[in-house]
Amino acid sequence: MSESHHTPSAGAPTLAETIAVTLARSFSDGEVGFTGLVTGGAAALFGTSIPLAAMALAQAMHAPNLTILLAGWSHNPDLQSLSVMPDSEFDAVLRDLPCDAQMMTYPGPWSIRRGDIDFGFSSGVQVDVAGNINSVCIGDPARPKVRLVGPILQPEHMTLFGREYVMMPHHARRNFVERVDYVSGVGYPGGLEGRRRLGLHHGGPEWVVTPKCIFDFDKENGRIRLKSVHSEADRQDIAAHTGFDIDSAGVPQTAAPTPEELDLLRRHVDAKGVLLGRHGSRPAV
Amino acid sequence: MTPSTSKVGSIADAVSLIPDGTRLAIGGFAIYQHPMAVVRALIRAGRRDLTVVGTVSGNEVDLLAGAGCLKRVETSYVGLEKYGLAPNFRRAVEEGRIEVVDYPEVLSFDRFRASQENLTFWPCDYLGGTDVLARNPDIRIFTCPITGRSLQAVPPADPEVVVLHAIAADERGNVILPRRHLLPQGLDVIMARGCDTVIVTVEKIVPRALVRRHAEQVQIPAYKTKLVVEAPWGAHPTAVLGRYATDDAHFRDYVAASASPEGFAAYLDRYVHAPADHAAYLERIGAERLGTLTELDTL
Repeated sequence: MSESHHTPSAGAPTLAETIAVTLARSFSDGEVGFTGLVTGGAAALFGTSIPLAAMALAQAMHAPNLTILLAGWSHNPDLQSLSVMPDSEFDAVLRDLPCDAQMMTYPGPWSIRRGDIDFGFSSGVQVDVAGNINSVCIGDPARPKVRLVGPILQPEHMTLFGREYVMMPHHARRNFVERVDYVSGVGYPGGLEGRRRLGLHHGGPEWVVTPKCIFDFDKENGRIRLKSVHSEADRQDIAAHTGFDIDSAGVPQTAAPTPEELDLLRRHVDAKGVLLGRHGSRPAV
Repeated sequence: MTPSTSKVGSIADAVSLIPDGTRLAIGGFAIYQHPMAVVRALIRAGRRDLTVVGTVSGNEVDLLAGAGCLKRVETSYVGLEKYGLAPNFRRAVEEGRIEVVDYPEVLSFDRFRASQENLTFWPCDYLGGTDVLARNPDIRIFTCPITGRSLQAVPPADPEVVVLHAIAADERGNVILPRRHLLPQGLDVIMARGCDTVIVTVEKIVPRALVRRHAEQVQIPAYKTKLVVEAPWGAHPTAVLGRYATDDAHFRDYVAASASPEGFAAYLDRYVHAPADHAAYLERIGAERLGTLTELDTL
């Protein structure tokens, strides 16, 4: 190894590292976490790489029995054997990635309606104040201005999983709106009581993670709120980049990783920088 | 001894089983393993008013949408994964030329399970508050007779015809799946089990003796198949697991061409209308390109 110059734990935490550590602390031992394989730049970082790093870090710290479900079918994939993040869900690379179990058909190993999945990660083009998410269209669904991909697994993520982390790779007014144009994943309309009236007794969005902040929810009242901002600069301009009213005064900054967490993340979880990029360089988000 | 019946036919035979207005399920998933030779032949034959009922759809729906073959799409996703949104589907929907009925992904699988079980609906309890429910009059609310809970009755997929692409089958129509396969191949099987008119294109038609040596890999037995067509590279430009990879360059060209209706029309001319059949299409792609896509599954 000619890496004597390499000092993995040097350097301030990147945003991606801070988010990964924050997420990792929120997972419990024995949980099952589900993430898709999202491709392309910031979307891949927020949708797949950060969740994978967070779950692997939790396994290394306090949750050795946590199960990572990659793309819903590869159980505990050997992430350290990767030299580059796969960019196709169902090709030979992932088929051959060593793991504990694979799902070869549906229904498969996990019973989605029995609550086997404790938490998941999803994304959308819009999130609204009630925590609804949208990946179907912009504008009138009957004649949309922009047709997007469809609801995919969002309805299941937001009701059948124990809790959901909505990972938003961009923070702009058009992404954070008063009311989404199409509800493909349901939040807390009318609060927890509203969810109960809809027949939903399980799950829902827990956090919304963005490049500027982490939102959580006043679940009783069904309203999104700031949990933390990533920096003082984010505190200053977050309202201008958010399409609904928020108050950032008095909101704490997202807690920094401890040296131990950062060291574990850099030297053990992501030693090659496949997930979160090379150390010391802030990933473009 | 009376010989058994051969199910072997041509792509033209497949197209004749899929008339205008057919409610069609197309095997494969997103940008993986679609029966593209048949999809191109449907366009060449000028099919109209098709309804595609799917699970996770991709370039097969995009191509049919751009070519004007579709009336309606029922699925959970239409996109090109790492190649972005489905450009022709998107244009057609935004211009009001295609009706889309959005289903959640797991329910889109369950709709085929309902067809397999010949159920008139699949029960669901998690659609409250979504536009998936609010905008779909085919999903009905009912009261569970056991618990009294309010539930949603989701209509089965009920395709009139299923067409899918597999690695191999024998002349009788016993279809082999690779031993090590993934969810898309598993979903093809569910699709096939819920339909009486199943068309399977295969990379190769193999002797029955080979099938009998690998009987544990036959998930679609002969009595389920109506027609078997040998179509080597029949999923191109999508991948066939264990045989060949996605044609990345072709997908990039496709997306670039699809930026405008004119560009897409030129693509259609070059790859769908000009080649008279699948063999001519493969000649147009070229042996050198196809050779680079070969995947060595096992040694």
